[in-house]
Amino acid sequence: MEEPMRWVTGASRKEPLVRLEGVHKWFGNLHVLKGVDLTMQQRDVVVVIGPSGGGKSTLLRCVSMLEVPTLGHVWFEERDITDIRTDLNEVRTHIGIVFQAYNLFPHMTAERNVTLALEKVLKLPSDEAHERAMDQLARVGMGHKASAYPGQLSGGQQQRVAIARALAMRPKLMLFDEVTSALDPELVGEVLEVMTRLAGDGMTMMVVTHEMGFAREVGTRMLFLDEGMVAEQGEPREMFYNPKSDRLQQFLAKVL
Amino acid sequence: MAITEASPLQTDVAPDVRGPTAPLPATILALGIASLVVVALGVLGSQFNYALSDRILTQSCIDQEIPPEDSGAVGVCSIVEALADPVTTGALYLGMALGAAALVLGLATYRRMDSKRRRDHAITGAVLGSQGALLAVGILWFRAASPGLFSKHFLNFDDLEGYGGAFVRGARNTLTLAFAGEVGGILIGLVLGILVLSQRRSVRAPARIYINFFRGTPLIWQLITGYFLLLFGFGIRLSTFAAAIIIFALNTGAYAAEVFRAGIQSIERGQIEAARSLGMSYFQAMRYAIVPQAIRRVIPPLMNEFVILIKDTALVIVLGLTAANYDIFTTAREGQSATFNSTFFTVAAIAYLVVTLPLIRLVNAAEKRLRSGLVGIVGAGA
Repeated sequence: MEEPMRWVTGASRKEPLVRLEGVHKWFGNLHVLKGVDLTMQQRDVVVVIGPSGGGKSTLLRCVSMLEVPTLGHVWFEERDITDIRTDLNEVRTHIGIVFQAYNLFPHMTAERNVTLALEKVLKLPSDEAHERAMDQLARVGMGHKASAYPGQLSGGQQQRVAIARALAMRPKLMLFDEVTSALDPELVGEVLEVMTRLAGDGMTMMVVTHEMGFAREVGTRMLFLDEGMVAEQGEPREMFYNPKSDRLQQFLAKVL
Repeated sequence: MAITEASPLQTDVAPDVRGPTAPLPATILALGIASLVVVALGVLGSQFNYALSDRILTQSCIDQEIPPEDSGAVGVCSIVEALADPVTTGALYLGMALGAAALVLGLATYRRMDSKRRRDHAITGAVLGSQGALLAVGILWFRAASPGLFSKHFLNFDDLEGYGGAFVRGARNTLTLAFAGEVGGILIGLVLGILVLSQRRSVRAPARIYINFFRGTPLIWQLITGYFLLLFGFGIRLSTFAAAIIIFALNTGAYAAEVFRAGIQSIERGQIEAARSLGMSYFQAMRYAIVPQAIRRVIPPLMNEFVILIKDTALVIVLGLTAANYDIFTTAREGQSATFNSTFFTVAAIAYLVVTLPLIRLVNAAEKRLRSGLVGIVGAGA
């Protein structure tokens, strides 16, 4: 039944897991995404960097339809999830998101945060949900805090619980939206370490981040998003050592 | 070893750094306290003295329209005589003088005080002194008008003998009206509160019309019109008591809806996003993630609505109740009609306060607990 220490299940496929085509997003009259195309294969770790206000988070949120693209299409496993007839609740069970502000449910213990959707969405029996939750919490090093409330945990601990909550759904894709930006510097490492292990296990990931070290070491592909457009993309090391566009050179000069 | 001994700041209690006081500020504080104490002791002391000693109906009372044939005339007379007693008079003027002295001295000197405690004493003395002086002036003013007539109507407790049971029953009926109305109102309000938050105007509009109607028309109008609408409009024959509960619930529902709406809107956007991103439907996200958090935030304002409703139930008098269903206010009104003694209203106020004061304390405690941020952690088990 439960295979213990593997995060990624399911056979790899040939077709792309995610495909974005001509995605535009306006907030009122503010044009945030100006036609983004993107294809993600299984096991890709796509890192998105760029100046703030460049549309990184909006792009990531479009992949799980937390933001609905104004124009363009998003496919997940060859299903057009921008089609109004798509059951988004079902699609979202396959896409885990971790937020900058953790967004744990403050009135529930760490364990309940994880089991809630297992029971109410996946309809698992409670003993199985409990087992899965404890397994996931242990893997992010939070097994000993299963009965703690979010308010009793540090930022790094909360974020690891949030990662466990997303992973317990056994998603095919994980989205990380600046997950270390709200953390005190000494707590960043523990969260990045979990994400690095996850990538090593073969999870398909999209990571919006300001952690350039993580982007370079863990990313299999990198997008530089500037003013709503993909200004440059490629292999992370290549982009760091050999930035082609002026904009990326300027950006890297500022952050490195 | 020497190091630990040498650090005097190693204490568990924060040090008191307000500094010393001095004779002048201490005197100002004492004057202020004395002013209040003298006024209170002088007035209450005379009252108790007259109430506990042999009471008589004096000629001056009879002159002040308290004739012997009035029931309770002796009791009322002792109140009036105690107010006119030289001890009361002396206490009032002395209290006024002490208070004025504290006020003048305090205001003149507090800026020059050189420690926090000295300044605190000077200011507190001035404040207490002004309160004592104002209290004395108020009582003197009251005494100079017609204290006899007032006492005859509002402080004549003799006619109330035998009404204790009626007031207890009244309190029970008031609480039944308010509690049933509040419970119904919360259920209506929760549904309306969720409806007005809908993205769709077609869903929002009817709920908004309902809320604005019940918030925008007088409750007394709703009671009268609602009762006859039920009776003649829909042919529903209910007791006035049951009809009142329904109308209180409909009215409270409108206010509770706004409380729920605000409570739900106060939950961070990230919470619903987290729930939806886990595959929950909108209603699952509401039910498991948002509403349980909102409930904690709306408890104090809903309790506040309950206190308001307890007082508003007095309006049920316009529908007319059967004797067994009398609420506090109707009980008082009936007693007053039978005896022409308004002291029933005084007792009604006390009865309302007995019910509402503990609730008000509870609301304040709940608000404090909410502000302290403990709710997310501790409240989860409840």
